[in-house]
Amino acid sequence: MTEGSGFRRAGLLLAFLWFVLSIFPIYFVFVTAFKPPLAVSRGPTYIPWVDFQPTLQAFRDAFAGLRGDFRGPVVSSVLVSLTATALSVLLGTMAAYALVRFTFRIRLLAGLLFAVIAIGGFVLLNGIWGMRVPYALALVLVVALAVSVWANSLRLPGPVLGNNDVTFWFVSQRIFPPIVSAFALFLLYSEIGRIGPRLLDSFPGLVLAYTAFGLPFAVWLMRDFLSSVPVEVEEAALVDDIGRFRIFFGIVLPMAVPGLIATSMIVLAFIWNEFLFALLLTTGRWQTLPVLLAGQQSSRGDEWWAISVAALISIAPMVVVATILGRMMRSGLLSGSIK
Amino acid sequence: MSAGLSQDRIKHAFLWPAFLLVLAISLFPLIYALIVSFQSVRLVPPLPPRFVGFDNYAEILQSARFWGSMRVTATITLASVALQYVLGFALALALHHNVPGASLYRVTFLLPMFLAPVGVALIARMIFHPFLGPVNDLFTTLGFGHVEFLTRAGPAIAVLVTIEVWQWTPFVTLLMLAGLQSLPHEVFEAAKVDDISPWRRFWDITFPMLLPLSVAVVFIRLVEGFKVIDTVFVLTGGGPGTATETLTLFAYNEGFKKFNLGMTSALSFTFLFVVIVFGTIYLALAQRLVRRVT
Repeated sequence: MTEGSGFRRAGLLLAFLWFVLSIFPIYFVFVTAFKPPLAVSRGPTYIPWVDFQPTLQAFRDAFAGLRGDFRGPVVSSVLVSLTATALSVLLGTMAAYALVRFTFRIRLLAGLLFAVIAIGGFVLLNGIWGMRVPYALALVLVVALAVSVWANSLRLPGPVLGNNDVTFWFVSQRIFPPIVSAFALFLLYSEIGRIGPRLLDSFPGLVLAYTAFGLPFAVWLMRDFLSSVPVEVEEAALVDDIGRFRIFFGIVLPMAVPGLIATSMIVLAFIWNEFLFALLLTTGRWQTLPVLLAGQQSSRGDEWWAISVAALISIAPMVVVATILGRMMRSGLLSGSIK
Repeated sequence: MSAGLSQDRIKHAFLWPAFLLVLAISLFPLIYALIVSFQSVRLVPPLPPRFVGFDNYAEILQSARFWGSMRVTATITLASVALQYVLGFALALALHHNVPGASLYRVTFLLPMFLAPVGVALIARMIFHPFLGPVNDLFTTLGFGHVEFLTRAGPAIAVLVTIEVWQWTPFVTLLMLAGLQSLPHEVFEAAKVDDISPWRRFWDITFPMLLPLSVAVVFIRLVEGFKVIDTVFVLTGGGPGTATETLTLFAYNEGFKKFNLGMTSALSFTFLFVVIVFGTIYLALAQRLVRRVT
C-alpha cells in the first residue's frame, strides 16, 4: 500500500484545498450579512466578535421593506418554483413512464411533415394573409399535429424513430441557447397580451415557461429511476383489470419515491436559480429572486450587508437541497442517471 | 416487455401532456422568432415590421461586436471547461480512493452548483473588490499590489473563468465519481498483482475506460457554458466597454436596450447555428478519439 501514498497525499491536499475554496465565499457572505456598515467600509473583516460586532440590522431592514420590496420577489419565487417543479415532475414522470413501459414508433417523414406544415402554414397565415400571430400559431399547431399523426399511421418510407429518440428530443431542448426560446417566448407572450390574457409578468406565464424548462430534466432523470422499478407488480395488477392511471398513481409512484425526491430537488434548484427567463418575462409584480439579486449591485453599491442578506435568502433553500442530495448520492441513488 | 402492453392506447395519455407543453412553449415560439429574424422590427420608434431578407444576418456577421462576443464566450467556455475537467476528475479520484473526510466533502462539493449564478456573482463582486475584498487583502499581505479585477478586461475574464470553475467543477466530480464507482474491480486487482504503478494504471486503464463518459461530461459543460449570461450581467455588465460581453448578453442588449427585435432574433438563431455546428464537430472528433483509444 505504500506505492500510492504520494498520490494519496496529493489527493488529500487537493480535496482539502478545494473544500476551503468552496466554503470560503459562502462563509464570507454569511458573516457579511451580520456586519455593521463600518466593518465593511474599513476593509475586509472575517471573524465575528473579533473583527466586528455582529448585528441583525440588515435582516430587520430587509424584512421591514425599508430598502425596496423584498417580500414580493421571495413570495413569487416560492410560488412559481414550487408550482412549476410540481407540474414538471408530474408530467415528466408520466412521460418517462410511457417511455419506459411502452414502445413508440415515429416516422421521420411524419416529423418533417410537421415542421414543413408548421413553418409554411405560419408564413402563409401571418405573413401573407395577415392573421394575428397567436391565432396563426395555434391554428398551425393543431393542423400540423393532426396531419402528422395521421401521416404517422401510413406506411411511409424512411427511418423510424423509437423511444430513445423521443427521450433525446426532450433532452435536446437543453442544447438550445435559452436566449433563443426565452426571447421567442417574450415575443409570443407580448403578442398574446394584445389580444387577451396577460402572460408577461404573470403567474401563469411564468409557470408555463418554467414547467417546459424543467421537463427535460424530469423526463431524463425519471426514466432512469422508473426503469429500475420492477414490472411484475404492475403486470399482476393489469391481470386484475386495474386501470393504467390507478397503477401509475397507486403502485408506480409510491415505489419511485426516492427518485421523485431527487428529481424534484434538481428541477427545483434549476428553476429557483433561473435568471434569463425571469429577466425577460417579468417586469415588476412577478419578479423573482434572481432578478432582484441582479439589480442589487447597481441599486445598492457598496451596501454589502444588504446585498449579503439578499444573497443568503436565495442560497439558504439550496443548502438544504444540496444536503438532501448529498445524502442520497452516498447511497448510490444518482449513479444510474449517468448512462 | 410483452407486445400486448406496448399496443396499449393509454400510452398517449401519459406522453402527450409533456410533449405538447414542450412543443408549444419551447419550440413553437421559435417559428415566430424565425420569421421576425428576417424582418426589421423596432419598438422604439414603433415602426411596422418590414421584410428585409438576410440583412439582419449580414449585419451580424459584419459587426465587430458580434465577433468580440464570440471570442469572449469561447475563451470563457474553453478555459473554464478545461480547468473544470482536470480539477473535477482529480477530485473524483481523490474521493473515490476515500481520502479522510470524504463524506463531509461530498456535501460541500455539491453546494456551489446549487447556488444561483446571480448570487455567486454578487459574492464574487465582494470578494474581488479592489479595496474591500479578501482577495486583494491576501494579495497585499503577500506583497503584491492591488488588482482592479473587474474594471480591466483581462482580469475580469479571469474572474469569470474562476467563477465558472468554482461553480461547475463539482458537476464534473459528481459524474466522474459515479463513473469510477461503476468500473469493474477485477481489472484493477489484476493490475495491482502485476505491479503496475498507479500512474500507469490511471493512463492505461481508468482514463480510457472513462473516456466515453468524459466526452459526454465535457459536452454538457461546453453547451451549458456557452449560454453564460447571469454572472457576466451582474459582475461586469459586459464591461469595460464590451470587453466581457458574451453572446447571450449581446443578444439581450440588442433587444432590450436598443429594442431591435429583428436583430435579437437573428442573433439568437446565429447563436443556435454556432452551437449546432460546434456541437457536431466536437461529437464527431470525440467519437473518433474514443474509437482510437478503445
